[in-house]
Amino acid sequence: MRRRDLGAAAVLLAFGLFAVTQARGLRFGSVVAPGPGFFPLCLAGALCLTSLALLVAALRATPEGAVVSAAGGRRFAVMGTLVALLVYALVLEQLGFLLATFGLLVFFFKALQRQRWLVAVVGAVATALVSHLVFKVWLGVNLPGGLLRF
Amino acid sequence: MDLLGGLAYGLSVTLAPANLLACFAGVFVGTLIGVLPGIGPVATMSLLLPVTYAMSPTASIIMMAGVYYGAMYGGSTTSILVNIPGEAASVVTCLDGHQMARQGRAGPALGIAAMGSFIAGTLSVLGIMLLAPPLTRAALRFGPPEIFGLLLLGFTMVTSLTAGSKWKAVAMALLGMLLGTIGLDPITASPRFTYGTLTLADGLGLVPIIMGLFGISEVLLNLEKGVEQEVFQARIEGLLPTREDWKRSAAPIARGSVLGFFLGILPGIGSIIPTFISYALERRLSKTPERFGTGMIEGVAAPEAANNAATGGSMIPLLTLGIAPNVVMAVLLSAFLIHGVQPGPLLIREHPEIFWGVIASMYVGNVMLLVLNLPLIGLWVQLLRVPYGILFPLILVFCVIGVYSESGNVWDIVVMLAFGGLGYVMRKFAFEPAPMVLAFVLGRMAEESIRQALLMSRGSFEILLTRPIATTFLALAFAVVVVPFALPPVKRLLRTVPLEKTEA
Repeated sequence: MRRRDLGAAAVLLAFGLFAVTQARGLRFGSVVAPGPGFFPLCLAGALCLTSLALLVAALRATPEGAVVSAAGGRRFAVMGTLVALLVYALVLEQLGFLLATFGLLVFFFKALQRQRWLVAVVGAVATALVSHLVFKVWLGVNLPGGLLRF
Repeated sequence: MDLLGGLAYGLSVTLAPANLLACFAGVFVGTLIGVLPGIGPVATMSLLLPVTYAMSPTASIIMMAGVYYGAMYGGSTTSILVNIPGEAASVVTCLDGHQMARQGRAGPALGIAAMGSFIAGTLSVLGIMLLAPPLTRAALRFGPPEIFGLLLLGFTMVTSLTAGSKWKAVAMALLGMLLGTIGLDPITASPRFTYGTLTLADGLGLVPIIMGLFGISEVLLNLEKGVEQEVFQARIEGLLPTREDWKRSAAPIARGSVLGFFLGILPGIGSIIPTFISYALERRLSKTPERFGTGMIEGVAAPEAANNAATGGSMIPLLTLGIAPNVVMAVLLSAFLIHGVQPGPLLIREHPEIFWGVIASMYVGNVMLLVLNLPLIGLWVQLLRVPYGILFPLILVFCVIGVYSESGNVWDIVVMLAFGGLGYVMRKFAFEPAPMVLAFVLGRMAEESIRQALLMSRGSFEILLTRPIATTFLALAFAVVVVPFALPPVKRLLRTVPLEKTEA
């Protein structure tokens, strides 16, 4: 608990300080006639003070047992999901919704859940196709066509 | 238009086929996502925003509101049968609801949850109808100083009523406001923190932030801890509560409804806190408080009534002032704005079809929900058997579709992922995402209103103290900070809520 809170407070403080340096670049104005930089700077300053309070509270707390961290495989699932979605976002417009979604789903079904290839591929095709039909064709939602052009 | 005339007019709007269908779609989807753990009303409503482009404004708002109160019904089902809250607002229902199910009384538990929700939902619609028109008249006199006072009250509420650490909530609210300053300055329109990018020039989008914090991060957490799917196997029979059940539940439902409704109106409260407070209140009032947590029907009836009444109450600030008192209402506000309708004091006059239509649709929707949730309960239970392995890729794909289609900008997906990762880390470190999102939304308004107020008064803060309504709000905000320290009973009441047990 204690180390966890210390880390969190430190990260917040670092972000607060960063925000202070950035907000100083904006016109501050004055208390009675605030400029664009007035509120950002006040907020950033307040965030620094609050993180300091959190930091002090964490230091004064009694140390407890080690943080229970996720098992290796599970952590892979979390990181894998985030990275896969990031790659998906970057290739979405080139490949188009159908292809990109198909690839993403195959990854989820195969790499994260260890389904058989047949299940993974069929499941991915079906899901991508159905969501294409429902969202793009039926509901008229704007989704990129990409390579397949539809 | 008088009340009955307004209601009759609203019913005629609601019963138009397109609106009726929208209402049904809303409550159906609401129940669905209420039952499914891992996706809540906030993420779902954001997801539906682009779908509403093609609909009329009235139908859109009717549908969105339906998702919200529908989710309150659905959420209790999972709490009772699986001991996993389908929604955060049903966390408390787990305590006694699941115990009832284990004693073979799943039927009455589900029954009283649905009936309690129905009664509370109906009462709260009545409350909106009675309170909204006079509040609208009062709201017409609100200027920037009053708005600022109200927003300040909201900030103090959201940070002081948090379940976890107050300082953490304050830090999150500040972070949210800071993120809200990205984009164009509201008064001078000069760019702030945009680093020359177009994506940031409009500010961070509310939808990517919400989908990240409430959609993606939820999936990530579930992936990590694994979702237990131990669906209650016994047959559910006898959904109708007995006469004894009714006798015990009547007063808790009434108290839960009133409490939920009035707490729901206050900015920063939402529908979760009222459930905790009403549970704590019932336990205080009970002759056998020690038996709470062992399957007391009062412990199901009161919080379920409270969360439904709160959804109704929280519509009031939105409809009369155009201010979102909680995150869900912030999404609903976006739905209004997408259609070029500004909710607020002028809504009732300029768009009576929306104002009365939405109110009447909530009556109709509650009836639909009662039918959906009592006779059809078996259907929803089956749904709980869908493995999470199938569910989570679908939720992720829906999140991506929702975010991309709203703006057509791939970078918004990246923003969503960033907030997904942030939300995951935040929850691991026991930081709440709700104060951050609410502050993100309200922060911009607060800055705008105080700067306008200062322009009005030529730079004098006295304007906040010479206008009675603004001063009242400021005093209340001050009281919210001070009272918990000064009044030990309030603190004790809040502390009797077994929060640590329910952190789900």
